[in-house]
Amino acid sequence: MQENYLAKWLNNELTEEELSEFKKSEEYASYQRILQVTGTLEPPDYDMEEALRAIKNKQTLHSKKVVQLHPFKKFLRIAAAIAVIITASYFYLNTLDEHYTTQYAENEQIELPDTSTVLLNADSELSYSDGKWDEERNVKLKGEAFFKVAKGKKFTVDTKAGTIAVLGTQFNVVYRKDFFEVTCFEGLVSVTFDGNETKLPAGTSFMAISGKIVESAAPNTTQPSWVNHESSFKSVPLRFVIDEFERQHNISVETKNVDTDQLFTGTFSNTDKNLALKSIAAPSQIKYTLEGGKVLFYGDKKP
Amino acid sequence: MFGFFQISLGKTTSLKTEKTDHVCEELVFDTIFKSNSKTVFNYIYYKFGNEEKAHDAVQEAFLKLWENCAKVAPEKAKAYVYTVANNLYLNVLKAEKVRLKYADKTLKTTHESPEFIMEENEFKEKLDRALNSLPENQRSTFLLNRIDGKKYAEIAEMEGVSIKAIEKRMHLALKALREQIDGI
Repeated sequence: MQENYLAKWLNNELTEEELSEFKKSEEYASYQRILQVTGTLEPPDYDMEEALRAIKNKQTLHSKKVVQLHPFKKFLRIAAAIAVIITASYFYLNTLDEHYTTQYAENEQIELPDTSTVLLNADSELSYSDGKWDEERNVKLKGEAFFKVAKGKKFTVDTKAGTIAVLGTQFNVVYRKDFFEVTCFEGLVSVTFDGNETKLPAGTSFMAISGKIVESAAPNTTQPSWVNHESSFKSVPLRFVIDEFERQHNISVETKNVDTDQLFTGTFSNTDKNLALKSIAAPSQIKYTLEGGKVLFYGDKKP
Repeated sequence: MFGFFQISLGKTTSLKTEKTDHVCEELVFDTIFKSNSKTVFNYIYYKFGNEEKAHDAVQEAFLKLWENCAKVAPEKAKAYVYTVANNLYLNVLKAEKVRLKYADKTLKTTHESPEFIMEENEFKEKLDRALNSLPENQRSTFLLNRIDGKKYAEIAEMEGVSIKAIEKRMHLALKALREQIDGI
């Protein structure tokens, strides 16, 4: 008998001899009967239409979720998020002030919305609100700047030391640590310092050192000297001169046996370091060394 | 706008003409369902003897087929649903008793003696017990062939095995049934 002959028998694949041999066997009748009774067996009822309907219901639920709602919802969600970001940033940016900063040994020219120009000296900060410019011409300053103000409404410069108000003119403002100076080159400038208002006509300047108003000499130029790459001082304590030198040449300075409160009158170059050092040292009768990017001023006699 | 509309229109028509036998087409899907779902139901029932699970298997298998209709070729759909149905209860479901009804028609037409009828019922009980004691895959293979009239080749495709393996199952199943019924 061949392998799996029962299966072959069921499939009518037995040879004549095999079949007759199988029929003679005593199990044959049993097999016949098993097959006959098995043939009358019936599986549980199965309602195909009902099953198909159940699947169709789930399908529509499913396809609605995936094909129709989802992509559109996703798109809307992204669009809404973008709209919110754009609106928010628009309002946020509108409230932000325009801001300018200069580093050591750097100048910058700024054009204001009303064509007034500002020259920002080294290590200074200037900011103003572009959105409110039409209501009030106001800038905030830290450091030094030269203003050429176009004619128009009141123009104000706020510093922590005092406020400068003008109508249309050219003036220079210095607000450094302990040092506040306003010089008017054209027109009329009003300086409010410590609650007192001082009117500065053209060719005069206002200076306060460590919170005290100091008499200052009138400038004889039409522009501050730093605009022409020079720094000029008239009766200014030496320490402010040295500070300005550090700012203009981006170099650190130390002093030894030097009276930094002595008054200095003179000019130094903002471009030539060595020339500037000589210009400062000679009138003050001090000496200096320049080593490794550092300057040391020293006096040869004891103070 | 008009040009865009035309392009999309052309696309759908070409899809219809090229892929009429795509499973995602509702008619194709329905045809596959109608010719296979009862067998899926029986197949799972013969294996595990649980009607509810057999219904669930049909739902699960054909929903999966619908979800993946784009990926399953129509000629592979049949094997796909049996595989899904089979995997659904792999190692999870314990086989219960398979309860099958006996059609009465053969008995009604014959006027047998009470002894014969009693003997007949006794035999049916023995057959029931013998069927339930068969291994799952032998039972499902044997019943799919004897009740549903499935060819060995079809069962082999459903189970993902060779025809020879199906023949072996048939042989062993019939042999085991006879041995148990004859009390060997």
